[in-house]
Amino acid sequence: MIRFLTEFGRYFLLLKKVFSRPEKFSVYYKQTMHELVYLGFYSVGIISIISFFMGAVITLQTAYNTENPIYPSYLIGLGCRDSIILEFSSTISALILAGKVGSSIASEIGTMKVTEQIDALEMMGVNSASYLILPKIIATLLFNPVLTLISICVGILGGWVAGTSAGVITSENYIYGIQYAFIPYYITYSVIKTLVFAFIISSVSAYEGYYVEGGSLEVGRASTKAVVFSSVLILLFNVILTQLLLS
Amino acid sequence: MIRVEHLEKSFNDNHVLNDISVTFETGKTNLIIGCSGSGKTVLLKSIVGLHEIDSGEIWFEDVLFNKLNFKEKKKIRQEMGMLFQGSALFDSLTVEQNVRFPLDMFTDKSVEEKTERVNFCLNRVNIANANNLFPSELSGGMKKRVAIARAISLRPKYLFCDEPNSGLDPPNAILIDALIKEITEEYLITTLVNTHDMNSVIAIGEKIVFINEGKICWEGNKHDILHSDNEELNDFIFANYLAKQLRTHEGK
Repeated sequence: MIRFLTEFGRYFLLLKKVFSRPEKFSVYYKQTMHELVYLGFYSVGIISIISFFMGAVITLQTAYNTENPIYPSYLIGLGCRDSIILEFSSTISALILAGKVGSSIASEIGTMKVTEQIDALEMMGVNSASYLILPKIIATLLFNPVLTLISICVGILGGWVAGTSAGVITSENYIYGIQYAFIPYYITYSVIKTLVFAFIISSVSAYEGYYVEGGSLEVGRASTKAVVFSSVLILLFNVILTQLLLS
Repeated sequence: MIRVEHLEKSFNDNHVLNDISVTFETGKTNLIIGCSGSGKTVLLKSIVGLHEIDSGEIWFEDVLFNKLNFKEKKKIRQEMGMLFQGSALFDSLTVEQNVRFPLDMFTDKSVEEKTERVNFCLNRVNIANANNLFPSELSGGMKKRVAIARAISLRPKYLFCDEPNSGLDPPNAILIDALIKEITEEYLITTLVNTHDMNSVIAIGEKIVFINEGKICWEGNKHDILHSDNEELNDFIFANYLAKQLRTHEGK
């Protein structure tokens, strides 16, 4: 318990350091642009691939589990759309990004710690926590909602390709289904969840990397811990946010 | 000038530095020598503020450094340059970007002025045509020289070098030593070098402090060191086979 509270306190102290006034905005701006590309843009591929197949599987599973003449077939499209918007594009994508982006952040900062690069920054009078972590948090907060929107579009497209190719639904019915009883607030809900998850991924992973002590073995462990803790927190906040935003 | 008074530092129950009091002079290469684990690096990192000290005082000229807050320390830190044991160059930046980094962060110079300063610093450490290389593409000696170039880019008043020769072959080690000494004299810097390399001691040791088990056991210069009757110091200096043979030969 004491260890948990210590870690919790240290996490918030790090955040305080992260959100202090940057030394020079132009340098931070450049760094944020770099992180946007590295952490955000480079994740478009993996998110698209996963979303496409996720949408395809959801459509096929919905179709094969609702083979009943009283259900109109366009409900397959509706089910696919809502599953993707409400849960898969935000939560599953966040779990995947916790693995890809989270481990990358933890290992990058952890390696900088054990090779004294963070000491070098501190020596120069640079707030290393702010310089290294703030651009990553801003980049994930800005780009992860874009990734979620891409995921929603590609997922629905994947559902259409799979559904029509397998012959479980006609193109017209699928398109009618994805437009039927659409609630725009679901998109807002999904984006809000994504923002919270993005903050969890970047800050928890940076925390794990920033306090690494030792060598390469510890950097590996920190990277694993970053993924595990981020994933658990994502699942926990998924429940909390769902209750808060949909009840 | 840097003055350390009654410095104490421990990690949990491990008392690493014990009542350290010493003065490091301006325009001289001040060496801290001692065996591995004697507390040299902890002393150096305590002086620059990377370790919080338990008690004691660290003075940079007439400023009590260890009592300053983060913002006040920042000002003094911009007058410091440090060469780390593993060079600590930023992996994601090129040689030029590494040397330019302090200039980008703390000056409002134009791009041309910064480029001019970067090239001057790289020329000063004899690195040519490597501006666009990444640290992973450099040899150990080149990394150290780039790290020196980065350390001097803001014209520091204090230069700290943590085992600058570790991992280098003898010719490169001599080059780095000579460079540190030249820069110290040229810019009238207060330089502190942590080392256990006896070649460095003899080549550049204008003031030498010997640390053993967290205490200062001996102070002097390169001329006195070989004639000291301090037992711990002699055990350290004449620990290697060649030095032992020379000593026996001299005795005969």
